[in-house]
Amino acid sequence: MPRERLSQFSKGEKVKILGVHCGKDFSRRLSDLGLFDGAKVEIIKNDHFGPVIIKILNSKLALGRGEANKIYVEKI
Amino acid sequence: MAAVKPTKSMSKKSNVTIGLTGNPNTGKSTLFNALTGARQHVGNWPGKTVEKKEGEFTYQKNNIKVVDLPGSYSLTAYTEEEIITSEFILEEKPDVVVQIVDAQNLERNLFLTLQLIELGAPLVLAVNMVDLAKKDGISIDFKQLSKLLNAPVIPIGAKKKEGLDHLMKVILRQAKSPQVSKVKLKYGTEVDDELNKIKEWLLESDPKIIKTELDWSALKLLEGDLRIEQKMTQKPYYSELKLLVEKSLAHLEGVFSRNIHTILARTRYGFIKGLSQEITASCKSSRTNISDRMDCLLTNKFLGIPTFLLVVWLMFQATFKLSGPLMGWIEGFFGMIGDKVITLLGNLGASEWFISLIVDGIIGGVGGVLVFIPIIGILFLLMAILEDSGYMARVAYVMDKLMHRIGLHGKASIPLILGFGCNVPGIMATRTLETKQDRLLAILINPFMSCGARLPVYALFTGAFFSAYQGWIIFSLYLLGILVAIVAGLVFKKLFSKKLSSPFVIELPPYRWPALRGVFIHAFEKVWIFIKKAGTIILAFSVVIWLLASLPAGVEYGAQESYAGQIGETIAPVFEPLGFGNWESGVALMFGFVAKEVVVSTYGTLYGIGDIESGEGTLSLSEALQNDFTPLSAYALMVFVLLYVPCMAALAVIKRETNSWKWPLFTAVYMTGIAWLMAFIVYQGGLLLGFN
Repeated sequence: MPRERLSQFSKGEKVKILGVHCGKDFSRRLSDLGLFDGAKVEIIKNDHFGPVIIKILNSKLALGRGEANKIYVEKI
Repeated sequence: MAAVKPTKSMSKKSNVTIGLTGNPNTGKSTLFNALTGARQHVGNWPGKTVEKKEGEFTYQKNNIKVVDLPGSYSLTAYTEEEIITSEFILEEKPDVVVQIVDAQNLERNLFLTLQLIELGAPLVLAVNMVDLAKKDGISIDFKQLSKLLNAPVIPIGAKKKEGLDHLMKVILRQAKSPQVSKVKLKYGTEVDDELNKIKEWLLESDPKIIKTELDWSALKLLEGDLRIEQKMTQKPYYSELKLLVEKSLAHLEGVFSRNIHTILARTRYGFIKGLSQEITASCKSSRTNISDRMDCLLTNKFLGIPTFLLVVWLMFQATFKLSGPLMGWIEGFFGMIGDKVITLLGNLGASEWFISLIVDGIIGGVGGVLVFIPIIGILFLLMAILEDSGYMARVAYVMDKLMHRIGLHGKASIPLILGFGCNVPGIMATRTLETKQDRLLAILINPFMSCGARLPVYALFTGAFFSAYQGWIIFSLYLLGILVAIVAGLVFKKLFSKKLSSPFVIELPPYRWPALRGVFIHAFEKVWIFIKKAGTIILAFSVVIWLLASLPAGVEYGAQESYAGQIGETIAPVFEPLGFGNWESGVALMFGFVAKEVVVSTYGTLYGIGDIESGEGTLSLSEALQNDFTPLSAYALMVFVLLYVPCMAALAVIKRETNSWKWPLFTAVYMTGIAWLMAFIVYQGGLLLGFN
């Protein structure tokens, strides 16, 4: 089964994170912000270039495209 | 809050110390300003380049000191800056730690709260923006929250100063009889077993270990916290301990097939989720979110960048339109002072040279710079509003794609924008970037952002030559600075063979009205720094330049035969091809290295703007400039001032931040080279095209 990435989803879609495959330090930073496997995320804006804006807990985060590519998710 | 009165003496020993902490964008500085007013002291954390803010006030006869801790999402330290909060709480032991919590974003904020509880801090929670949360349909049961966290929770409105009296009472109560929360997070048997192993080992191997910090130390060792690592490397048993921790980590990551941070963060957020379900009730509000609608425009894929440029353009237009009349008044004031001083000193029988020193040297030089107070004040006021509103994070978002071209990411655009105010804080703000290479690149291009100190030079020359298009001419200089920065960035990216920019994440806080009080305090601080600069460094150099212009004895003031004239004549040939080969420019540009405003004060001193016969104020300075410059050479001079060697303060901060003399020296040389080349192209190209 092909794995889907956070960067492939569009505005309004909700996804559950399956795995964060960024560098060690950056993964730590993301987990402090609530972004780790099992967390649910809504896509607020994805122009298919530049960063992706997501909503997690009650706040918006802009996440670089390269990083959004390394986060595996499934649609919920 | 009428009960809060300023202390008479700041040096008086305070009997209650409060550490103020919280996530970014929660209104922490607003609360700090509301409590302490303008009675603030800004310094550095010992041994670090991070700003430390303190303020003092008296409440019910208690002297209270507030220490503003850096905004952070978590207490685990990965960078030098993040060490500060836990170090302050553990080592300086403040009487109370106040965490300001954003009611609109409770869960994210409570993540820090849990860590403060684990640290054993005498905590008071101040929940801010309760009214905004209510509008979003979120209501919070504060009593229940306080009970579940086993810590005092006070709702406040920092901007409107609501609930501060109540907050202060609770803080004092907490200070008199400190209560530490008894909440203890359970990470599950597997994790707790490993934590216990580490704790037991520490107890056995180190008889001097502080028992109350044991839980915290074990947890942080497991997390790989920078501060605890630094402390433990000095211990004789470090290598043995390290082995033990690594074994625990390997075991846990094997069992959970996740890294330790995910394991701990999941537990913490899990606890918070349960807690928040008990204390918040939310009904979907029908109100469409204004922030979302503003984001539609401001982060739009086509309109985002043009809107940003428009905002910057408006900011500079407003700065000039609003400051114009104010500057007229100050100019008139100094003209009047000059006249009065001449009459007064004349009546007192002061010698001619002394009158010249006061009028030409000091009033001409320092007054010529102080005229620009309104520009500085308004520019910093508008920048502070922009920073407070939440727009900066959107700029980071829209600029990300462009910044990638020069090997940086969107967050690097914030230090660049701050550079428009002053390059020193701009360069310091590069600390938010993750890798050394990113930082170096962002530092090297920062001085091309035209800072506030260069503005007086533009204001003087555009006033004299381009009064009809002042705003546009100045805007073109800012754009040129940005373009040169982009090209330099591209070159550095190649030179450093930099491939990828470091990962990028930034919170986009909801748009909020800036707290006017804080904005004014911020602008006032900047104006005060500017005035102090005028009273010290600029005053000193005005006197030096006056001396150079008056000596050797017997020469006419400001004549070509004076020392100043001779120095200028020596340098002038270098600038001849750029269109400003007059000796006054040579002197002004040479001393402009001290601070860019000195360029203006030097012209003021050398052209003697205080002279009675030639009228008063910059009017006569403009006339004097019109004799020596054409519009084209004036523009070339502005281009040169924009791009050439940054001021001493900026070079010093580059030295401090890169920890080597190599980079400030390199910056001085390469920027001056580029400045000469660009001014040459402008002037000679302009001549070829038939301008003059």
